[in-house]
Amino acid sequence: MRHLLPLLSRCLLAAALSLSLSACQVVSLLTGDQTSVVYALASAENFPSPLNRKLTPACPALSFSGDSFTTIGRHQPRLRVLARSLSQQPQRLLVVGYTSPNLPQDYARSLSERRAQGVRQTLVEMGVEASQIQTIGLGNDFAPSAPSSNVVVIYLVDAAPTSATTPPPVAPADTPPTL
Amino acid sequence: MSSTPPRLFVPLLLLLIMVQPSSVHGFLGFGKNKDATDSLTEGSLPVLFIGAFSGSSGNSAKAALVTELQRSRAFSVITSAPEADQSAPVPFTVSGESVGGRVTASLRDTNAKRLFERTYAAPGLDENLRALADDLIYAVTGKPGLATSRIVFVSDHSGTKQIYLCDADGSTIHQVTRHRHGAVSPSLSSDASLLAFTSYRSGFPTVTLMDLGGGMERVVTDTPGNNFGAAFNPDGQHLAMVMSFLGNPEIFVTDLSTNAAGCLTESIGVPCSPSWSPTGQYLVFSSNEGSGQQLYVADLGSEKSTKTTERWNAGFRFATDPAWSPDGDTIAFTARTRASWLVATKGYPSGPTRIIQRGAKHPSWSPDGRYLIYVQDGDLYRHDVQSDARRRLITDFGDISEPRWNN
Repeated sequence: MRHLLPLLSRCLLAAALSLSLSACQVVSLLTGDQTSVVYALASAENFPSPLNRKLTPACPALSFSGDSFTTIGRHQPRLRVLARSLSQQPQRLLVVGYTSPNLPQDYARSLSERRAQGVRQTLVEMGVEASQIQTIGLGNDFAPSAPSSNVVVIYLVDAAPTSATTPPPVAPADTPPTL
Repeated sequence: MSSTPPRLFVPLLLLLIMVQPSSVHGFLGFGKNKDATDSLTEGSLPVLFIGAFSGSSGNSAKAALVTELQRSRAFSVITSAPEADQSAPVPFTVSGESVGGRVTASLRDTNAKRLFERTYAAPGLDENLRALADDLIYAVTGKPGLATSRIVFVSDHSGTKQIYLCDADGSTIHQVTRHRHGAVSPSLSSDASLLAFTSYRSGFPTVTLMDLGGGMERVVTDTPGNNFGAAFNPDGQHLAMVMSFLGNPEIFVTDLSTNAAGCLTESIGVPCSPSWSPTGQYLVFSSNEGSGQQLYVADLGSEKSTKTTERWNAGFRFATDPAWSPDGDTIAFTARTRASWLVATKGYPSGPTRIIQRGAKHPSWSPDGRYLIYVQDGDLYRHDVQSDARRRLITDFGDISEPRWNN
């Protein structure tokens, strides 16, 4: 009986360790294409803000529905055309996210920034230089004069500047608003 | 399939945040307060006898103190000397003097032992009496009073979203910011001396700190991308906030004395709205990590280089704007159902879920944990969580959002 005690205690220790490790299991939330490299933002110095200046949209606004924040199939052709044109004539871009007005404000800021970062990430994966793209998520603090507030607008930063005191117009979104 | 909530072990990342020159801003008061009634719910309150106040402004001081303490509902207030009746409860007694707005008062307990004697020498009589009222409440009940507490909120009353400050009853509204393009996402330190908020003055969001005593401002962070959701920890030395310069929105904790920031999350979702537990050990925030917008609690107590974050089930598919109660036992939050937005509470770490008000958003606790404030249809409400009585504090003042009480 005495020689069984060390064996029993070892078994108990192994079981406890196993339980402890299973309780502390590291769960990776990154799956599939979410494991791609995320590029940090470069300095925003010398980037104009759409709040200070009327900026030219690079393409029609990309609309998002509900709480979604990933770019989807219908966004791709528009972004591919833009990436191709930028490969021929590089320009800096400012990607600005907006949400519908009824969302809680802090959530809206984060959601709109996440959408803008998702569009930026897609453009980078299409070959656009990461340091040339800045993002802002304006949530529902400001609204573009567009058919939908649930959009991401891509502005050409180096297009001829004009002064603005009102929110800049953006090209119509690619789908009707879904507020 | 395990029912254990997902756990994340995230490396702590340190970096330095740039500091920019400060500027000076003042206050301008205006506003409108709508009176309403909410029912009295006193149980067996301690009895406080307000005795004589000598001096040239003694009578005014006594009358104002009676009003302030009756409004607090912390005491059963009596103003005439109690009779020598053995069956009647022996009251606490406060008395003192007031000259030219300056107030000196002493409090004696039921055994006539002096608990404190203090002098209040702020410029105004009302300010001194509010401080005295809160000291009396704290000395007798052990809970903070609300007379010197402040509520901060955002309103588009002026045409752009700006930050305003008011008293606990919605009176004395001051416009705090007059920033070009506006200021949002405000938070007060526990003593209401500091305000953190997001300014759009430059055209980009920057987290800014303002000393409410002198109006001095300084930029805490102006990193590329978004900077918002600042929340003071209980000692006012750290700010939790959202920054996105890493390429994703993430929750950071910034040390205000060094401006060093640590990244707390490695999110694939929409992290926002951090709120501290009263001890500062835990931080609750909202994010969507694949199962809808849910609440997560990070344990900051350990000295390890990794911090654990666990999902906390609030009982709704969508929950955000968490606010930890001052006693640490409850978390209030905004939830969304198919029908509407609502404000709810749930016991922490576990307890029943309670719907406080349908149609409301963005709850924040009073310093004593008795009330929640929230917005509904652009108005500011105060809700007694014990009696469910609620009172509209501010109406017809633009579209009010993001109210926060200092606690």
